[in-house]
Amino acid sequence: MAAPKKTPDRHYDFTAMNKWFAWSSLALLLITIWMVVEDYAKPWKRLQAEFRELERQKLVEEAEAERQRINQEEIATIEEEIRSEEARLDEQEAELKELQDRLADLDDKVYEADVDARTTKSHLDTERYQYDAALQTGDPKKIDSALATLERRRETYGEDRITLEAYLEERDMVRAEIERKMAGLKEDEDRLDELRGGLESLENRVAGLDKSIDYFVLNAPLMDMLEPQLRIDQVQLPGLYQNINFTSVDRVDRCVTCHVAAARAGFDGEGWEEPFRSHPRLDLFLSSSSPHPYNRFGCTTCHGGLDRATNFARAGHSPINEEQKAEWKHDWGWQKQKYLDTPILPAQYTEAGCIGCHAGNVWTASSELQDTGRELMSRMGCFACHKIDYPAFTDVPRPGPSLERVASKTSPEWAYQWIEAPRDFHPTTWMPHFFFLENIVGELNEERQRAEIKAMVAYIWDRSEVIDYSDPPRGDESRGEDLFNTIGCTGCHLNDAEASRDDLFPQINRMHGPNLVRTGSKVDAGWLFAWLKDPKAFNPETRMPSLRLTDQEAADLVAYLMASRDPAFENLTQPEVDGQVRDDLAVVYLQNTQTIEQSKATLAAMSDRERDVYLGGQTIRKYGCFGCHNLRGFEDAKPIGVELTEEGSKPVHQFDFGHIHDIPHTRHDWIKTKMLQPRIWDHGKESVKDYNELYRMPDFGMSEREAEAVTTNVLGFVKESVVTARRADQRPESNALAEGRKLITRYNCQGCHLIEDQGQAIKTAITDPGMWPPNLAAQGARVQGDWLFEYLHDPASESMRPWLSVRMPTFGFDDHQVNMLLSYFAARENRQAFLSEPERPDRRSLTVGKGVFAMLQCAKCHPAGPVAPGAVSAAELAPSLLLAQDRLRHDWVADWIKDPLSWVSGTKMPVFFSRQDDGSYSSPLAQGIDLPMWSTEKDRMLRYFDSEEELKEYLADADNVTAALRDHIWWGLEGGS
Amino acid sequence: MRKYRFWMICVLAVSLFGVACGGGEEAAAPERAAAPEPAPAPAAGSGGITGVITYANGDADTAISMDADPVCVGLNAEGAETQTITGAEGKLANVFVYIKSGLSGSFPVSAEAAVLDQQGCMYAPHVSGVQVGQTVVIRNSDPTLHNVHALPTVNAEFNKGQPFQNMEFEHTFDKSEVMVRFKCDVHPWMSSYMGVVEHPFFAVSADDGSYAIDGVPAGTYTVEAWHETLGTQTMEVTVGDSAVAAASFDFAPAG
Repeated sequence: MAAPKKTPDRHYDFTAMNKWFAWSSLALLLITIWMVVEDYAKPWKRLQAEFRELERQKLVEEAEAERQRINQEEIATIEEEIRSEEARLDEQEAELKELQDRLADLDDKVYEADVDARTTKSHLDTERYQYDAALQTGDPKKIDSALATLERRRETYGEDRITLEAYLEERDMVRAEIERKMAGLKEDEDRLDELRGGLESLENRVAGLDKSIDYFVLNAPLMDMLEPQLRIDQVQLPGLYQNINFTSVDRVDRCVTCHVAAARAGFDGEGWEEPFRSHPRLDLFLSSSSPHPYNRFGCTTCHGGLDRATNFARAGHSPINEEQKAEWKHDWGWQKQKYLDTPILPAQYTEAGCIGCHAGNVWTASSELQDTGRELMSRMGCFACHKIDYPAFTDVPRPGPSLERVASKTSPEWAYQWIEAPRDFHPTTWMPHFFFLENIVGELNEERQRAEIKAMVAYIWDRSEVIDYSDPPRGDESRGEDLFNTIGCTGCHLNDAEASRDDLFPQINRMHGPNLVRTGSKVDAGWLFAWLKDPKAFNPETRMPSLRLTDQEAADLVAYLMASRDPAFENLTQPEVDGQVRDDLAVVYLQNTQTIEQSKATLAAMSDRERDVYLGGQTIRKYGCFGCHNLRGFEDAKPIGVELTEEGSKPVHQFDFGHIHDIPHTRHDWIKTKMLQPRIWDHGKESVKDYNELYRMPDFGMSEREAEAVTTNVLGFVKESVVTARRADQRPESNALAEGRKLITRYNCQGCHLIEDQGQAIKTAITDPGMWPPNLAAQGARVQGDWLFEYLHDPASESMRPWLSVRMPTFGFDDHQVNMLLSYFAARENRQAFLSEPERPDRRSLTVGKGVFAMLQCAKCHPAGPVAPGAVSAAELAPSLLLAQDRLRHDWVADWIKDPLSWVSGTKMPVFFSRQDDGSYSSPLAQGIDLPMWSTEKDRMLRYFDSEEELKEYLADADNVTAALRDHIWWGLEGGS
Repeated sequence: MRKYRFWMICVLAVSLFGVACGGGEEAAAPERAAAPEPAPAPAAGSGGITGVITYANGDADTAISMDADPVCVGLNAEGAETQTITGAEGKLANVFVYIKSGLSGSFPVSAEAAVLDQQGCMYAPHVSGVQVGQTVVIRNSDPTLHNVHALPTVNAEFNKGQPFQNMEFEHTFDKSEVMVRFKCDVHPWMSSYMGVVEHPFFAVSADDGSYAIDGVPAGTYTVEAWHETLGTQTMEVTVGDSAVAAASFDFAPAG
């Protein structure tokens, strides 16, 4: 091997070094080029360029449409007019020229005269001073001479002024003359400008998006310092945190870098696809006038995802299903982001994003799925086993009926059947199935469940108080049916064997109380009679109100409800259970506190019944029945489920997917699957786990939609990531709103009433709109606190529309609850709950009010007494105004009369005063007063006015008229005028 | 030095731009439908559609009791009856017939105002049609209070009181809607239906069941006939140039 050739003074090979140098330079160059390309060819740049082109096309189309819209004929006509006008002016050219010359001449003259007058004025001022100075010297000669000069100058000044004014006047005349001659032309030109203006602005915008040479230079690689048009668009959001590597930092959202049109209107029609669509409901989101402007809330605050990402995969997009996942992988290089705890919420769960800020409000206006889900969770009683630390789910009474007296009401055999499979008896019930679910396999386990159910029934009956009820009076079934359908039972109850929760979704108010089908196979008639008459006597905590039924009415309803029976649920028996199986179950519990020997001895000392009762108590503890039902012996027991307050932030790897692999391992898929198949995660583990270790979560029989609604909520239960000040509705009255809404949900007020535009479920049972319970919009502005206080305590005390068959029930609220409702209604309208006494108006206002009341024929609909006038069907009538003074708020009446539709949509109260563009209201009464039929009223009113004109002026003002009407209703109807 | 560096960058940028463009895919201009050819302003056609509405069961209107308002009783000395199922023997009036689909382009709005009168405590006409944007004059010819409560589902609701005789106000609907119901809350028997459509091709059948729609451009259309209790029926109709196509409907009794 030859030694490397080296020059004598170097220790290395020069040629080899040159080669190394050449190759590495080339490599460096290539890497540099690669770097620049990589930096330049970002996908978002391509998207922005694409959007620019689409927007340009859209504008071109709009310009074209505008061109179409502009009536070419009209333009041609105007241009023709302009031409003829110009021709006419040409003909009069000489005349016009002369006028214009005269104008120029006059301009000069005015200028000269003005200068003259000003000069004279300054002389005058000097001479006045000199005269004053002369007066001071006291020298008569000087005084006389100065005065004479001053007088002359005054005269000159007067003349100058006269000259100037004459010229000015003449110039105005000439100008007017020229304008008059040119007016036709100018008007035509203005019309042309107006027609073409929209088009011109569109054309300018198109030009702005044309790809000119600057576009290519500004957006070329390495030109970023020149402010390129294609650039990352971001917004900083102080107080809205993103957790990055265990540190909370303010969000910096870059989503609109690709979702270019999100905050802009007009990109939502056909042909606009993500990422180029406008956000839906810009009135609510992103636009600067909406409650959630883009520069204050950004995107990821609600949607989740990695705020800073400008790459599809890294942003954390979540596909709605497997199909979309495959599509995204192909089109956008989607990848699961293992290390991103809060990926973007999949589209179907977007409303989960509302909860982070809105949980304190209890209701979130306009998020339907989330609102429905929250109601479902209240009804199903999720919070009874799982602590959920949000206002809607705290300090809420148990959702199920009390079982402390259940033995007075039904039989243990029925109870056994019910616990085993509640939906077999009531397909719509909220009570879930605990037994015979998919993780229970094998004969032994089935026998264990029978033993558990039987034991629970034994325990409940052992602890239940028994009241013996005598048979109810005889009732009439068909009268009972009538009552059931008209007095309001249907706001909360169904009586329908075919009903399904999914069919009624999302309207769940009518499932507030149990479906009453098969009542005859369930309860004791004597109990039912006593219950209907006074529910609170049986269970002081019940939500069932009293409808103030007479004995006969209650008996009729009992006859009707008891007639609904099903032989399949009668003459039931409880199964025989293997005593050994039961004892084995009981021993397991005894061994928690005793040795094996002790437990055997304890069991041996128990009678058969005692063993049942003991196991029943333990089983109730195991399944947590006391979460929903009042049960003696469990008054202070703690709920058994895991806390859900931050479930939406729980890392995905902490969810137990068991051996299940065909369900995507995401948070939302786990939760939704759990809702639909609560025991699924035990699959393959049935033989590994002890019987008592198997999952106990019951099956609520949720439909797909119900599961999605509930999942939306659970996903939204996230760790706090928003500073308090940035959360929704931080007003002092927010608490009143939240507490009121909780009560409204608890007592199902929306089963009958429309509140915040939701509810009135009874509409599906009572079809005549005139018979519907009222819309409570504006209630806080409408009625007096004192009146509402009395009314809510005792609705029988007053009746606005006595002809209604539906009754406002007596809920038996305590003062605290009533005051919470009062504060709620007042807070809705930003009013104080109580009001000071109004002052009595003067006679003029009362007289006008009385006249106007007659002229507008208010009494046609508002009866003056408790009975309907004439033969108008009762359903058409309005509330009696005799109640106004006690019931209505004085500061509301006139506002209501002025514009009823703005307060309550759909109201029958007509608008008499039209709203004008400037916000004022016109009044028709100044014209109406001249009709011969109202001459008596006119004469009466005239006594308080100096002239007819004055009266008419007064009547033409809607403010006067509505105030007078209010005064008449308030003071004039006393004693029934 | 600064200037020199700037030019260096420019030169490098320009050369790299070539590389980047050559290497990367040309940002393809997205494909979208080209702007539609400007449709010629639709000329009023010379064709027409006529037909007769038949109904075998005959007049089934019932008398209205107006006792609730003595003024109304006074205005109807001979009594009044509903106008629901009305028309000559075997024929049906008050059926709203209009071109439901098949038209293209827009049509000028009729400058003539449509009138909805309240006369003798009844609406006149009971069934009518207007164009979107056409003025509707709503008048009260009675010396008693009426309120005009429109109950649209697409357009905006309104409810105006007209306490005085000969009061009137104007209204225009800004969206098409078949049908908008009007009712009077003071006199619950009063109701009227108004079909709001984009074009002028509609008619209401007369007492003899006949109707005629003129000025229809040639083309194939879906024509719908609407009746307040008997529902709707549709028919495909082809109108030739200056030809009158026939579209008769037979309404079966409800139930």
